[in-house]
Amino acid sequence: MSEALSLRLSEALTPAKIGKGVLIALVLLWSLGPIYWALNSSLMQPVDLTAVPPHAFPPAPTLKTYSGLLGLQGAADNATGASIWPHFRAATINSLVTAVAGTLGTIVVAALGGYAFARLRFPGRNIVFGLVVATLAVPGYTVIIPLYRLMIKLGLVDTYLGLTLIYMSAFLPLALWLMRSFFLSLPKSLEEAAQIDGASRLYTLFRIVLPLAMPGLIATAIVTFLSVWQQFSVPLVFSPTYATKPLTVMIPELASRHDLNFGLINAAGILAILPPFVVVVFLNRFLVQGLTAGAGK
Amino acid sequence: MTLSMTDSYRVRVTRRLRLTGSDAREALLGGSLVLPVIVVMGALVFFPLVMTAGQSLFRIDPMRPGTPFIGMTNYTRLFNDPEVRAATANTLWLVLLAVVLETLGGVAFALLLQSMGRARKWLLAAIILPWAIPSVVNSLMWSWMFNPTYGVINAILRGLHLISGDFVWSNNRTAALVLIALVHVWKMLPLTAVIMLAALQGIPAQLYEAAKIDGASSWRTFISVTLPLTAGPLAIAMTQSTVTAFNLFDEAWILGGASLDTRSLLIEVYMTAFQNLHMSYGMALSILVMLASLAVSSVFVLRGRGETHSE
Repeated sequence: MSEALSLRLSEALTPAKIGKGVLIALVLLWSLGPIYWALNSSLMQPVDLTAVPPHAFPPAPTLKTYSGLLGLQGAADNATGASIWPHFRAATINSLVTAVAGTLGTIVVAALGGYAFARLRFPGRNIVFGLVVATLAVPGYTVIIPLYRLMIKLGLVDTYLGLTLIYMSAFLPLALWLMRSFFLSLPKSLEEAAQIDGASRLYTLFRIVLPLAMPGLIATAIVTFLSVWQQFSVPLVFSPTYATKPLTVMIPELASRHDLNFGLINAAGILAILPPFVVVVFLNRFLVQGLTAGAGK
Repeated sequence: MTLSMTDSYRVRVTRRLRLTGSDAREALLGGSLVLPVIVVMGALVFFPLVMTAGQSLFRIDPMRPGTPFIGMTNYTRLFNDPEVRAATANTLWLVLLAVVLETLGGVAFALLLQSMGRARKWLLAAIILPWAIPSVVNSLMWSWMFNPTYGVINAILRGLHLISGDFVWSNNRTAALVLIALVHVWKMLPLTAVIMLAALQGIPAQLYEAAKIDGASSWRTFISVTLPLTAGPLAIAMTQSTVTAFNLFDEAWILGGASLDTRSLLIEVYMTAFQNLHMSYGMALSILVMLASLAVSSVFVLRGRGETHSE
């Protein structure tokens, strides 16, 4: 009995398998280590943060930093935290509103345009598509100076509408590319059958093609949402106040205050990565699909 | 393949035989569906782009009176600007480090993922997570880990007796650039890994079986089977690595700010235009950055166009 067990163990633990286990551990350390370290630091008492050598676990875990950030404690308890909450709340709302609006605007335009680029013949199709996709390589700052003047003229600086439009222009090329490749990967026969039955092109698009392309649409929405959520250089210029300033611009400002609090910065960072974390854990399949289709299948 | 080609040919023929107005209606519908794309991209990308190109030939500087036409002066001045040269050198170093590390690491990660069974899904989620994290947050997390006194990295290096005392990473140009590259690679490597994993999964298993029967070593199999069959996706992955690193802003700004030691080309554009208000000079620089970026990514565009034509 025990002989058989040890035989099985020695079979299981070949050098190749041990090596692979070590590799997996290293990959996990590289990918999750920095996130763990931020979480670890965010749960420490301020005095434990400055221990040398640093603690691998919080010696006295506390949620104080979070409750300060989220305004859950009295002003007397933590003056720094309590004054941060209104800004943190505004920045969180701004991040969510611009990410959702930018994503919706982008995928609606990209779904319709992507279908036209994939299936319909019209003059200038290839040129327009080529030009739009080429802007993937145009750095944002190449257009930002005239864009800034344009937005000032239209009164759209520091407004949700202005940011949403800029994000649409920034992320449409990738979204169009993705949607077009998803449409191209669908079998044409269904659409052709519907047309032979006398269905109009638009009916076919909304009732047959879009439902089939739903995984692609979700993948495109996820990639767009995560791209807007992480934007920094655009709001750095176009969101000067808390009317639209997102978390990505607010959190580094915490770091440049004189009362530098690493626990606070780490806690704010952990809260800012919650939405992406949820997406990666629960919608991973769609995300991978979007990323690989983006590579130009 | 042949079947679908004859199919679509037949459809085209029947379509032509049908209503003469059908092509016109299709073109009208196509145009209408694409119209929002044209409006958004035209107003917010192409119009500003043309403005940038045009205005870069004038002197636009709120600190100086008038906006005279100065031709290529902005461009010729750029080539002798020590700040621009420093930023170009920094950017090229960042691109080199990023492309090499992302490609080697991404391929290694993809091979490891490919060799896994049921747990692949979970390892893949863990690997992708850094890509989804805002680069600003990611930079702040790393700058805390690299804190000279309290950071975990220096504590480990001290424990290994590789450094003594507080090594200040930002005080040393090489170390600071390596740190920025590392933070950028941490975020972008997952994309290469995912692209390469998809490419690996597309290789027919029979090819590996054949190589095994022929007695090829695993290294030989990698060189003769895996690499040639994934060359296309690898080129795409390297192109996007290059373009992303070329346009690096967030990580260098958070970790190095305006420091000339680590200033990237896009930070130089931002400083020139929005901090020093030399508007048209910044525009000229951004046009050059764009041309370089476009040249590199022509692989992307050519592939896209090739696909459109073959269709």
